Amino acid sequence: MIPDIVSSLRGSFAPGAHSELRAQRSLSRRVVLLSGNLVGNTRSDSQGVSARVYRNGVYGFASAADLSEAAARKALETASSNAEFLDSRVKPGKGPLPDIPTGSLPPQADFNDVEQKRYLDFALSLDEYIKEKYPGLASRTVVATSDSMEKQILSSDGYAAHTLAPRSYVYVILNAVTEAGMPVEVFQPFGGLGGFDTVFTDPARLHGEIDKLHDHLMKKREGVFAQAGMKTCILSGLLSGILAHEAVGHTVEADLVLGGSVAGPNMNKMVASPLVSMTDFAHTAFGEKAPLPVYVDDEGVLAEDAELIRNGKLVGYMVNRELGRHFNMRPQGNARAFGFNDEPLIRMRNTAIHPGISKLSDMISQTEDGYYLINTNNGQADTTGEFMFGVTIGYEIKNGRLGRAIFDTTISGVAFEMLKTVDMVSDTVTWASSGFCGKKQPMTVGMGGPELRCQVIIGGK
Amino acid sequence: MTREHKAANLALDRMVAAGARDASAQAATSRKSEFSVEGGRFTLLRTTLDHSLALQAIKDQRRGTVSGNSFDQEAVIAAAGDCVASAEAGQPDPAWEMAREGQGEFVSGAVEADLDKLFERTKELLDSIRREYPKVILEQVITQHTTHNTVYLNSHGVRYQTTQGSYGVSVMFSGHEDEKSSSFNYTGFSTASLDRPFLEMGGLRQNLEDAQNQIHTRQTEGKFEGTVIFTPDCLDGMLGELIGNFATDSVLLDGTSLWKDALGTRVADERLTISFKPSDPRIVNGERYTGEGFLSEDYDLIERGVLKQFMISAYGANKTGKKRAPNSSFSMIVEPGTTALEDIIKNTKKGLLVSRYSGGAAGTGGEFSGVAKNSFLIEDGKVGPAVSETMISGNLAGMLKHIAGISRETVEDGNCSLPWLAVNGITISGK
Repeated sequence: MIPDIVSSLRGSFAPGAHSELRAQRSLSRRVVLLSGNLVGNTRSDSQGVSARVYRNGVYGFASAADLSEAAARKALETASSNAEFLDSRVKPGKGPLPDIPTGSLPPQADFNDVEQKRYLDFALSLDEYIKEKYPGLASRTVVATSDSMEKQILSSDGYAAHTLAPRSYVYVILNAVTEAGMPVEVFQPFGGLGGFDTVFTDPARLHGEIDKLHDHLMKKREGVFAQAGMKTCILSGLLSGILAHEAVGHTVEADLVLGGSVAGPNMNKMVASPLVSMTDFAHTAFGEKAPLPVYVDDEGVLAEDAELIRNGKLVGYMVNRELGRHFNMRPQGNARAFGFNDEPLIRMRNTAIHPGISKLSDMISQTEDGYYLINTNNGQADTTGEFMFGVTIGYEIKNGRLGRAIFDTTISGVAFEMLKTVDMVSDTVTWASSGFCGKKQPMTVGMGGPELRCQVIIGGK
Repeated sequence: MTREHKAANLALDRMVAAGARDASAQAATSRKSEFSVEGGRFTLLRTTLDHSLALQAIKDQRRGTVSGNSFDQEAVIAAAGDCVASAEAGQPDPAWEMAREGQGEFVSGAVEADLDKLFERTKELLDSIRREYPKVILEQVITQHTTHNTVYLNSHGVRYQTTQGSYGVSVMFSGHEDEKSSSFNYTGFSTASLDRPFLEMGGLRQNLEDAQNQIHTRQTEGKFEGTVIFTPDCLDGMLGELIGNFATDSVLLDGTSLWKDALGTRVADERLTISFKPSDPRIVNGERYTGEGFLSEDYDLIERGVLKQFMISAYGANKTGKKRAPNSSFSMIVEPGTTALEDIIKNTKKGLLVSRYSGGAAGTGGEFSGVAKNSFLIEDGKVGPAVSETMISGNLAGMLKHIAGISRETVEDGNCSLPWLAVNGITISGK
C-alpha cells in the first residue's frame, strides 16, 4: 500500500482557493503469447503525486514522479502559481465552488501483486489447450494482464480517501481462414475486478468459454456478408453497453454538453423509447457490486449514481464540481484522473441500460428478418450521437430462427433516433469492463445492458 | 553524470550482474507545460515533471521488459531485478536481439519553453477562430510544450543521448447553428517554433471552414460504387490501419498478412510511394534510434507501387527471415502527385470527400466498413452538400490498386506529410 504522504499537508492549502492533493501508484502486468511465441512480457509501475488548485474559475495543476511529502508540497506550490498565472491573464472572475459534503472513507483492502510467472503459466496453459484441441487454426493469441490504480486523495473540502481498484483479464483471439482464403477472427475477454490470483484460479475454468468462441469462429468461417442497409437487429448486452457508453454517455458528459453536444438542447425531452432507462452507476447496480466500483472521485466527491435517461426521457448530465455549478446539478463523483500526472476529467463509471421484461429467445422468435449481433471489437461516437460499432460475431435471423454467421461488419446510426426504435428489451444485463475509454486520458470503465431489438444501419455488401 | 545516466547505468549494471547477456536501459526525464481550453475558455495550466525507466533483459534467450518511473536507487535496483526475473520466467526464443553498435548525441527542436508566448499564441488562436469562424464551437484545445532528456545504454556498448523539445497543438471542434451541429472533428500538429499563428499551421484552417459547411447535412440514399477522396487528416488513419494489417510484426508472425509473400511485387498503383523518414526536415523531433537500439534510418515501405520493406522489428525479422525496418517510427511521408486537388475533384463523377472515418478495426482480410464523418458529396466534378449517416466500405489492399489521383498539395503536421488521395470502387451507402 502506498504511504499516506498527503494527510499531513492539509494545513498547507492556500486560503481562498480550492485545493486537491493526490498520491498515486499504477501497476500494469502483461504477458502476450502469439501462436505460442512469447512476444510480450512486461511489468510497469508508475507513481507520483499531483496537486490541483482552483482560483476564480481556472485551475492550476502540477505533478512530480516522486512519492514524498516534499514532492507533494512542491506540487502544491507549483499548482498554486499556475492557477495564479492563468487567473491574472484570463481574469474569469468566478467565485469559489459550492460546498460539498466532507468526511473520510476507510482504506480499501490491498491485493496480491503476483509474480510474472503466474501470468505466463496461466497463458501457456490456455495456449496449450487451444493448440492441442484446435490444431487447424491459422493463429491464436492469449493475453494475461492486470492493472490497478491506488490513490490517496485529500481535498481542502470534500472527502479524503484511499482507493484501490485492481482488475485482471485474459484475452483470447482465434484466427481461421475461409475456403476462399479470407482470414476471419474472433475475440473474447474474460475476467473483471480483483487481483489476477483471485479472478483466475484455474485455467480449466475457461475451457468451456474457449470452446464456445471456437464454435463461433467455425461458423464465421462459413459465414456470409451482411446485407447493407437499415435492418431489424437484436443487439447483445455487450453492444447495448457500448451504445450506452459511447453514443449516449459521452454526449451527456457536461464538458461535452458545453462543447455543443446533442444532449444540450434535449434535456427533459424524449430521446428514446419509453422502454429505455439508463444510469451511470457509481458502485452498485441492479442490487450487485458494479464491475468497477467508484466510491469517491478525485475531487473528493462521494460517488452516487447519475441517472441519465428515465423511461425514454433525458433527465441528467454527468458533472464535476465546476460544471455542476454551471448546470445547477449536484456533482455525483464523475471527476476521475487516470495517471498521477493527469488532472480529473468528467468520466463515466459503470454506464448501463436497465433490463426490461422480454426473453432473448422470444426476441429472436419474433423477428422475421434481421440480425443478432453478439460481439464488438470497438466503437466510436460523435457528439451528435452518431455512432459506429464494429461487429465481430453476429448471425442472420430468418423467420424467427438464427441462421448463418456473418463476417465482420459495422453498425451505425444516431443514438437518440435509434433508441426510439427499441421495441423489446431483454431481462438480462451483460457487463464489459476490460477496455479503456479514451478522452484525453484513458480510463477504466464498466458498460453494460440487456439485449435490445431496434432498427439500425448495418454495413456489408 | 546526469541523473538519467546514473539511473540507466545502475540498472544496466544490475541486469548484467544478474546474468542478462543482452540488456538495455533507457532513462528519461520530461517536463510538460500545457494549457487546456474547454468550451472556448481557458480552464487549466498544467505542469508535469516525469521520469521513465524502460528496461529490457535477455537471459538464456528469454526476454523480459519492465518499466517504471522512479530513479531512486532502491527502485532502480528492484526494477532491474524484476526485469531479469521476468526474463527467467519466459520461454527461450533465439530471435530476440538488440543492437551491437551505435553511438550518438542528438539535440533537436525547441528545448526551452516560452510559456508567455505559448499563452499568447493560444489566445490569438481562440480570438481568431471566434472572429473568423463564428459558427465553430471549440470543444477542447490543448497547447503544450514538452522537453525530453533521454539516455539509452545497452550491454554491447551502444550509447545514445537525446534532448528534444517541441510545441504541440490539438483542437477538437464542431460547427453550430441554432440547435443543429456538425459532427465533431479534430486535428493537431507539432512544431519547433512559435513564429507563425497556429491557425496557419497543419490543416486547421481548412478543417474549421469545413465544419461551418457541415452543419446542414443530407442523408445519402441507397447504395452506389464511387470515388472517395481522403483528406490528409483522414489518410493518416487509413494508411495506419492498412500498414498495421499487412506489414507489421503481429500479422507477419501469425501469418495472417495478405502481403506476407508480396515483397518486391506491386501492391499499389505505381504513383504511390510511402516512406518513413524520421530525419526529414518536415518531421519535428524524429526518432533517432529504435527500441532495439539501432540507429534510425529513413526507408521506403512502398516505392512506386512496389512493396520494398515490412515495418518489422529485429525480432520480427529474425522470426520471419525478412529484413528489419530501418526505423520504428510512424514519420510517414507520402509522395505528392502532380494533379491539383481541384482537378481531382473535377474528374470525380460521383463520390465523397472524406475528412474523418469512424469505423471498426478492419478484419485481417482488409475489409473495412465505417461511417464517413465530416464529409461532402461530390457529383459531376463539384463538391456538394455535407452528408450524414453515410457508410463507406471496401478493402484496404484493393484500395491501393484503384487510386484515382494523388494531389500535388500536401499537409505537414510535424509528424507526417500527406496529400489528398482519391480511390475508386468504394461502396457508399445510406439509409
